[in-house]
Amino acid sequence: MTQILPAAAPARLRVVHLVDDGNWGGVTRGMKFLGRDADLAASAQHSVVTVSRSALSAPALEADVIVSHLAISWRALPFLTALRARYAHLPMAHVEHSYCEGFVAGNVLHRLRFQTLLRSAFAMFDRICSVSAAQGEWLVARGLVGRERLQVLRSCGGVADFLDLPLAEGAPRAFGAIGRFDRQKGFDLLIEAFRRVAVPGATLTLVGDGPERGRLEALAAGDPRIGFAGYSASPATMMRRFDAVVMPSRWEAYGLVALEAMAAGRDLLVSGVDGLADHVGRGARLCRGREAEDWAAALTDLAAQDPAQACARRLAGRAAVVGAEAEFRAGYDRLVRDLSAAPELARAV
Amino acid sequence: MPHASIIVPAFNAEATLDATLRSLRAQTFTDLEIIVVDDGSSDRTARIAADHAGEDGRVQLVMQANRGLAGARNSGIQVARGAIIGFCDADDLWRPHKLAAHVRHLAEAPAVGLSFSGSALIDGAGQPLGLAQRPRLWGIRPDHVFLRNPVGNGSAAVLRRAALDAIAWRPAGETVRDWWFDERFRQSEDIECWLRLALTSDWQIEGVPGTLTAYRVNPAGLSAAGGRQLAAWERVVAKLAPLAPDFFARHTPAARAYQLRYLARRAVSAGDGREALRLVLASLRLSRHPLVNEPAKTLVTLAAALALRLFGAAVLPAPFARRSA
Repeated sequence: MTQILPAAAPARLRVVHLVDDGNWGGVTRGMKFLGRDADLAASAQHSVVTVSRSALSAPALEADVIVSHLAISWRALPFLTALRARYAHLPMAHVEHSYCEGFVAGNVLHRLRFQTLLRSAFAMFDRICSVSAAQGEWLVARGLVGRERLQVLRSCGGVADFLDLPLAEGAPRAFGAIGRFDRQKGFDLLIEAFRRVAVPGATLTLVGDGPERGRLEALAAGDPRIGFAGYSASPATMMRRFDAVVMPSRWEAYGLVALEAMAAGRDLLVSGVDGLADHVGRGARLCRGREAEDWAAALTDLAAQDPAQACARRLAGRAAVVGAEAEFRAGYDRLVRDLSAAPELARAV
Repeated sequence: MPHASIIVPAFNAEATLDATLRSLRAQTFTDLEIIVVDDGSSDRTARIAADHAGEDGRVQLVMQANRGLAGARNSGIQVARGAIIGFCDADDLWRPHKLAAHVRHLAEAPAVGLSFSGSALIDGAGQPLGLAQRPRLWGIRPDHVFLRNPVGNGSAAVLRRAALDAIAWRPAGETVRDWWFDERFRQSEDIECWLRLALTSDWQIEGVPGTLTAYRVNPAGLSAAGGRQLAAWERVVAKLAPLAPDFFARHTPAARAYQLRYLARRAVSAGDGREALRLVLASLRLSRHPLVNEPAKTLVTLAAALALRLFGAAVLPAPFARRSA
């Protein structure tokens, strides 16, 4: 597999990103951005390879650095072990797109066993990347990753199209919620809350699809202000319809939609769990309550804000995320540079 | 800043508060503050707390109009400065080494957010009843919290501040401070809080060995409260079920069966055989979990309810004449 490069050619590092068929949403969008971004391509050659996590052997890869975006599970451990064994000489990183405190709280009963799984899987990698600062703090606080092996690498699916949108105007009336119709997103809570909101002209549109669709439609039945829409090929076009985006997620490792809403100059109201705390730090509004009445009050407050203040807030939000693409590129450049410069850097024993 | 804060919610507690504060001031771990929250008492509660504050600079008194137990604890948390926060009701006692045991436990187990211990039961005069709460200490999952509440009583838990802040929120209409305990509950506020901690954060709940709390059992007023107690418990379930619908769908019948068995035991203690029998039979119909997992306690409850129904209170042994948890 050794390639003989012409002596004069600068050797661009080959970075292979592994994804699996279970990936969707934010991971896919991030990979697309990685693959097409010219500035990233200037420093390294990024390619994406889809693998099956349940395979027992690692595929042949022409790579200098391997970056896993795979979902970790007990079933995936044999594959990860095989990958580490076959590419023992290569630096490997893992980007943790899924697991965060809210996920564990809402889905895992046997928590010590789950922590053992994560520690075992993470031990195969030279570096672990969290997709939000808050998720990274959690990984460190629970002893799942040593701070010296952690890098915060916030996701980005490209924000240029969103930055180009005109700012939302006036107090918000068109509320949007975007994402997979899954219990994770808390859209059930949002519908119940919105039904209690008595703001004239307010509408709520849920954009997406998923296993909870029937239940969400039933919850919304009889309230003509609540509508549903499918995913759009152009997320920015969809965003244009909304004055405010609401994310009452029960867990959210990062929350790409939050980044895009702020880039679009929309109001943003989030639950603040996990990675959504990063967006609160950048100016998103926070609702910590987990009941419909808490969200109804927060939506009503949002709709009642002074238009001038709202405008200033939207501008500040946009300013806070205008550098998101640059941050993303710099993060991957740093990851590749660190790993290739010192492959044994902090490698787990 | 003190490492530990102990919050003492107190409502008309003049008969017991002095002993409670003496037990807290006598803790072997001394880097602490004691915050007595007088929740609108009409007796000498505030005076007793103020006397202790005069003798010991670590004691402070907070006074408020009555907000209930949850509201008193929340006001205490609001002013607490410690990295760890414990709760002791104004009629209970802490054994001298209790705080030290929890401080060490939390220092050694970074994943644990709530550390608790078992409790010995004492009577109105502070005398041991020879009974104890000895719950499961390790490997506690959210379903254990829901079914058996191993934390046991309001004077057993010591938490990290970070774990409490993970569940803080400010409900609509509250303008002054955050809530940690839900002040809309006047009963079942403990289990609501611990279960919410277990279902919305990944902080572990874990115990330390020993009966480090002396929990005072009050024989008065048991029977009338039963119906309200169950109603409050059902409201907790209704409130939290949307957080984890699958969890509640799976575990609520067994948890309700334990709750009914507990109320049956209280009805036995209160001498109401008819109600006790009704409750224990309702419990058995709901789920076999109590019978399979705690057969002795379940069958004793059934036998006691039957005996009381058939023969009256004279036949019952002493522990049942009071109460057990």
